[in-house]
Amino acid sequence: MSETMTPPAAPATAPPAPTAGAGRNWLKIAAAAALIVVLLLLPVLVGNGGVAYLKLAQYILIGAVGGIGLTLLVGQAGQLSLAHPFFLLVGAVGYAVLAGDPEESADLVGLGLPPLVAVIGAIVLCGLVGLAFAPVAGRLRGIYLGVASLSLVFLGLWLGQSLDMFSGGTSSGRNAPVFELFGFEFANSQPAPTIAGVAIQKQQRLWYLFLAFALMSYFLARGAVNSRIGRSWRAVRDNEAAATSMGVNVTRVKAGAFVISSAFAGLAGVMTALWLDLVKPDENEFTGTYSLTVAIAFLAVVIIGGLGSVPGAVVGATIVFGLQQFFLLGSQQFGWFADAQFGGFSAVVVSAFVYGAAIVLVILFEPGGIAAIGRRLTSRRSPDARSANGGDRTTPREDRT
Amino acid sequence: MIAARRAGRSALIAGALTSTLVLAACGSTADTAGGTAGAGGVITDVGVTDTTITLGIMGDTSGVFKNLGAGLNAGNQLWADDVNAAGGICGRQIEIEVVDHGYKADVAKTLYPQLEPNVLGMVQLLGSPVLAALEPNLIEDNMLAAPASWSSEVLDNPGIMMIGTTYDLEIINGLAYLQQQGLLADGDTIGHIYIDGEYGGNGLKGSQYYAQQHGLTINEAKVTSTDNDLTGIVTGMRGAGVKVIVLTTTPGQTASALAANQALGLNVPVLGNNPTFDPALLETPAAGALGNLYVSASNAPFSSPNPKAVEVTTRYKEAYPDSPLNAGVTTGYTEGVVWQNVLEAACEAGDLSRAGVKTALTTLTEVDSEGLVDVLDYSSPGAPPTRGVYIAQVDATAEGGLREVAPLFTSPEGESYVAPFQES
Repeated sequence: MSETMTPPAAPATAPPAPTAGAGRNWLKIAAAAALIVVLLLLPVLVGNGGVAYLKLAQYILIGAVGGIGLTLLVGQAGQLSLAHPFFLLVGAVGYAVLAGDPEESADLVGLGLPPLVAVIGAIVLCGLVGLAFAPVAGRLRGIYLGVASLSLVFLGLWLGQSLDMFSGGTSSGRNAPVFELFGFEFANSQPAPTIAGVAIQKQQRLWYLFLAFALMSYFLARGAVNSRIGRSWRAVRDNEAAATSMGVNVTRVKAGAFVISSAFAGLAGVMTALWLDLVKPDENEFTGTYSLTVAIAFLAVVIIGGLGSVPGAVVGATIVFGLQQFFLLGSQQFGWFADAQFGGFSAVVVSAFVYGAAIVLVILFEPGGIAAIGRRLTSRRSPDARSANGGDRTTPREDRT
Repeated sequence: MIAARRAGRSALIAGALTSTLVLAACGSTADTAGGTAGAGGVITDVGVTDTTITLGIMGDTSGVFKNLGAGLNAGNQLWADDVNAAGGICGRQIEIEVVDHGYKADVAKTLYPQLEPNVLGMVQLLGSPVLAALEPNLIEDNMLAAPASWSSEVLDNPGIMMIGTTYDLEIINGLAYLQQQGLLADGDTIGHIYIDGEYGGNGLKGSQYYAQQHGLTINEAKVTSTDNDLTGIVTGMRGAGVKVIVLTTTPGQTASALAANQALGLNVPVLGNNPTFDPALLETPAAGALGNLYVSASNAPFSSPNPKAVEVTTRYKEAYPDSPLNAGVTTGYTEGVVWQNVLEAACEAGDLSRAGVKTALTTLTEVDSEGLVDVLDYSSPGAPPTRGVYIAQVDATAEGGLREVAPLFTSPEGESYVAPFQES
């Protein structure tokens, strides 16, 4: 594991200038624009009858936001963390407490803040909790840090069960407050506005909200990776002594990476609460919304996507978070795996195999993940980029666009 | 970097273009409320046509409860076959649409919107985490659902159609039975091992109530559903001198507690809720220690001599050979029977819409399932529809592993208990 976590130093060849070819840039811009248009029109494309697919797409975005946060930490800053579900839980509970209606129940703490303030508050809270863990993160590395961060998942399980005035308890949990922006509620309404004949109800509104969150996260992460912060992360990851001699404050950079990653996880937690309409701590540590399974799923997202690659994390989230539910929806709609009545190859089993196989294949044949495959495909069109790319393909090269 | 900025700018332009298009296509709509009149002058809305009534199952055939889930699904289907063979309800055939969520709330949340537009209601909704996650949807869609989860904490939602009695009442009646048999006396100490969560919390409410009535001291032990070794807890309970151990646990934990009970020489009677026992335990090394377990459940055990239960289980064995034998079959069949009563009442009232069936449920005061469960009364919202249980003891020679030791009964303590959302 540690081999892939701390890849060797950057290749000798300097990265090529960003203007690798005007034609390629235009192609990329056109593709990005087309993708965004498709995403914006998704509620229209699936229609009111395809809300299940919209729900699936929202779920992928939750994975993408969380995955982006983790890929920064694991891939860019070189710190293995399995604590992501804990920060998801803190974000979800933080949102419910900050935005919760104080009148709702005598047993629950709710501060009744505007939901937007609550979202920001929950993110900041997660960042602060991440900062509190930073002394540990600063002293440990590799698999040791992974194991230490794992303890946070157990801490979250225990806190969620015992602090039920915040979390609502494991029995019933508590309602996730409806998101609201300047008086516009992200809930069903009558009459509802329509776009091209498709009613924009709760799920469609949530989709646009999640899309905004995800795009914001994406561009913030790309910005961080391409700027001085990202360079200092990679310097610390590759060689702490060298980074120190370059004037990088290693302790502060490590702590900063943990804070930022936790904040991303906090946003994913808020999104989880809105997606489930529920904040409910898990009943055990292995299965559930904030469990070890989720920690592994996020790690799979960043490994399949390619360590350190922001677009890779999005693709990884699509595979890990999307595949199982897509199979399930398909099996329902088109009768796939219909003969799997009592056990056998059901949609759940098949998707587990696919995602397990994806990890094994990536680690065996393409340690740089899907990001490396993507880079190889795009560089085929520009010869100078290929020569620069011939060296070490496991190094995430996000300093280049 | 430059490219990223350019991409960002053109994305912005694209976004602006799109939003203009969108604005041009914008309008406003209001869904038409209320149903339409269908065949026979009956009002219908979702999941009901002139020839069919479609009900949904959100079950588990791939997750931790796949054995129970398969039994439940089969029971539901057997009921639908019976009804259809007898000419259907309201001149309509029953169709069942099955969804497998693998006991995962997130999967259920995605699958629900696909199922919801096709069905009138849920003949089976398995799993308390799933139920908790779907509760806002059920309320919003005005959906009636029979949960395969028996906590009295969910009865605040009028769309929940509880089939049988709840975990708290199972324990109250079970303790009363043990006291009647002379296995427990006023002032004794009992141990209660429970899983933190809806299931365990509700079971604990039962023993707390009974303890209060009879001056018992409870030695409580909270576990998570993945704790597999309960030996330490049972050792502690031996030290505390417990006369009875109550379990609201998973089948695996039941086996561990019973094995420890025997190995430590404690050998006290053990009382468990319906889900604590799985016939598969009889093939584990703990099989020899299971004899002390009394299971308190509102549905008849698989081997029950009740004629209706015999009929259902015989048909199950014919239709699904080599399938697991468990009480899920009769429970699933009973869910169907209750739905049948609801649909017939709604048909008589001329309203098979979702709102119509919900209203029809509250008019039912005597749903008779021929003894599969006690007679059910849905007229007081928030209260469990029945308080009666069967007591069964583990017996390796009986089909399904349980032998009925007491027929349906309700203890005086069970009658006087007030459930959390009951309006007294």
